[in-house]
Amino acid sequence: MTASAEPVRAHRRARTGAIVQAALPFVLLLLLWQGLVAGLQVSPLVFPSLSAVVRAAGQGLRDGSLFLHLGASLARVAIGTAIALLLAVPLGMAMGVSRAVAAFFTPLLRFFSVLAGIAWIPIATLWFGYGFGAIVFVIFNAVFFVVAYNTLLGVATIPVELRRAAASLGARRWSMVREVLLPGALPNIVTGIRTGLGFAWRALIAAEMIATSTGLGYMLFLARDFYRTEVIVLGMVLVGCTWLALDRLLLAPLERRTIERWGVVRGA
Amino acid sequence: MERLAARWLWFVEHWPRAAVFAPFVPLLLSWWAVAEIEIFPPAFFPHPLEVLRRGVELAYKGVLGAYLEDSVLRLAVGAAAGIAVGLPLGLLVGLSDRAHRTLWPLLLFFQAIGDIAWLPILLVWFGFGLTTMTFVIVYTVMFPVLMNTALGVRAVPEVLPRAALSLGASRARVILEVVVPGALPNIVTGIRNGLGFGWRALVAAEIIVGTSGIGFMMFDARRAGSVTEVVIGLVVLGVLWSIVDSWILAPLERATGERWGLVAR
Amino acid sequence: MKELLVERLSKIYFDPDRGERIAALEEVSLRIAPGEFVAVVGPSGCGKSTLLNLIAGFLEPTSGRILLDGRPVRGPGPDRGVVFQSYALFPWKTVLENVAFGPRMRGLPKAECHAKAMRYLELVGLAHVAHRYPRELSGGMQQRVGVVRALANEPEILLMDEPFAAVDAQTRMTLQEELARIYEERRPTILFVTHDVNEAVFLADRVLLLSKGRLREEIPVPIARPRRWPRLVEDDDFKALVARTLSAVRAA
Repeated sequence: MTASAEPVRAHRRARTGAIVQAALPFVLLLLLWQGLVAGLQVSPLVFPSLSAVVRAAGQGLRDGSLFLHLGASLARVAIGTAIALLLAVPLGMAMGVSRAVAAFFTPLLRFFSVLAGIAWIPIATLWFGYGFGAIVFVIFNAVFFVVAYNTLLGVATIPVELRRAAASLGARRWSMVREVLLPGALPNIVTGIRTGLGFAWRALIAAEMIATSTGLGYMLFLARDFYRTEVIVLGMVLVGCTWLALDRLLLAPLERRTIERWGVVRGA
Repeated sequence: MERLAARWLWFVEHWPRAAVFAPFVPLLLSWWAVAEIEIFPPAFFPHPLEVLRRGVELAYKGVLGAYLEDSVLRLAVGAAAGIAVGLPLGLLVGLSDRAHRTLWPLLLFFQAIGDIAWLPILLVWFGFGLTTMTFVIVYTVMFPVLMNTALGVRAVPEVLPRAALSLGASRARVILEVVVPGALPNIVTGIRNGLGFGWRALVAAEIIVGTSGIGFMMFDARRAGSVTEVVIGLVVLGVLWSIVDSWILAPLERATGERWGLVAR
Repeated sequence: MKELLVERLSKIYFDPDRGERIAALEEVSLRIAPGEFVAVVGPSGCGKSTLLNLIAGFLEPTSGRILLDGRPVRGPGPDRGVVFQSYALFPWKTVLENVAFGPRMRGLPKAECHAKAMRYLELVGLAHVAHRYPRELSGGMQQRVGVVRALANEPEILLMDEPFAAVDAQTRMTLQEELARIYEERRPTILFVTHDVNEAVFLADRVLLLSKGRLREEIPVPIARPRRWPRLVEDDDFKALVARTLSAVRAA
């Protein structure tokens, strides 16, 4: 063993240890689950055994229904979010550029961002009928107002000195937006996206329960009609894992990186 | 245009309270105009006067008041229980390194499952009714409170409990006098987030399993194709939650954070 | 006031990333007599803060003993008052409540605690800000509160961890003179950690030089009290001692 190998190995050992430590609670939980259901002879109508859920997952994978539902949910989120972002960021920026306009739109956006999401399901189904349109609208609505409000807030709170500095360095309107306002507001925008998607994801599950015939929410609610608890639990695990993946692997790192990279602009 | 903007800014600075409401006037006027010329059929887009008339009627009959009371009461009871469970657990998770290491990934996972995904299995267990709804709200409020409390506890600068200990404080006193006040800004943030998710979960639960409440009223009206009552529900929810959030929760959050100068750090 | 005895104290860390043992403190022994003012100087990373944190009970030693009045030290306690570099005032308590915290933890009645805290605030001329919150005070005032908060609890020894490092130069000199005055009037036992050689020589009866976790040298400071800056900046003995200590720090 060379002298330099030892630290590397120790480092790797520490990392493996961390992974084991994170996985251990889940392993214990699964063991507890299987043990309790078998030991107490819980009826599958009340709570499924671990093996039943695994079988349901296998079945769903083989006949492709799992992909169908997961895909439908993700597609709705992606489309609704994309439309919302394309509109909310430019509008939020435009509103934030002038103090007068910002002061006018702040209370409106605040009101609607507070109301965003689930409460719009009834009217959305009325306007668009049951199905794709209503659900995408609800997601759009959940993301749009929260992101627009946060963008406005972000632009409005960029220190005046920064704008003045850029202006005296010769920045015109467009380069001001690109070089100062957008990077300055970016941490707020990303935070807004994360919050908005949090509302949107819940609204999606709720909307799918009542307004469609595909998606994770529908899968959960349909299984309830037949007391298929193993499908319900499978659906819950999927909902949790999908959101966790979305939030932890995509949104949280994005937020951290923009705040680390651009947070300096705030002068914090 | 320039003079109008200057006047408006003067108004914002001198009448900040009124300036919050002023932007809703043009919004209501354009709603009126769009409804008046019937760009959309009235069955989809109700007239504001119709909404007002029906709203007054429902309030007069006592329906609106009763439904509102149901919803607010459910939220209050569920939130109180959620805070009562989440706060001590959050302290535990924040104070003990071992509890934090083992429980944090589990907490993240169970928070991610989210309130509404629990509805189907709760319906299997408890049926349509109050237990199901209360469970959902408690679950929804508990996690943000728990996790923010734990974060707050861990964010208290190490020197503060040290200072208290070397001034002779017992462990219990350190928790009471240093850890809890130090974490309070985060705790309030957690309560604010929890209630924000909580009332949405309540509306969803009322829509899906409800027999009363504002969410039920909206969905019932939607089934009957009565757009007016759906909009009444939206307006009531929006106004109610704006009041709670911007007049109670947000100031509370600001006050605890600013007064103690913990935000700046 | 009781004697503090430190015997062959070591603190070894294990760095898992590098897989090596790091000695923050190695076989340090010292004795502080009742009523003595001892300063520990050394460059950053020399282990002086580790030494203070061990005596305060915030850290567990790897080996060795710490005895206060013959009893071994276990964990933090009110017999050792600590003044922190970052002040560590409770931001949600007023100045008065901060100073009254120690007496209150000993179970004294509230009125008595407040009266006592007030007396100590008067000692440093801060009675007029008793009902303000710490963040409303300047850094210098905050650290005055930090010092009297520790004093008001009447500890057997005062441990001060670079207490004046975070304030501006002007205020620092005022605070140093104030501490010298308090020491001359009440003679508490003090262990004072700093990287500022001027400060150490100005305040202490004895300066200990710490470097790379080991005690290197001990320099007595036989300068008469009361000590005030206007006199000492002209004083040849003082200048000579500072110069000697400085060269010792550099050589270590």
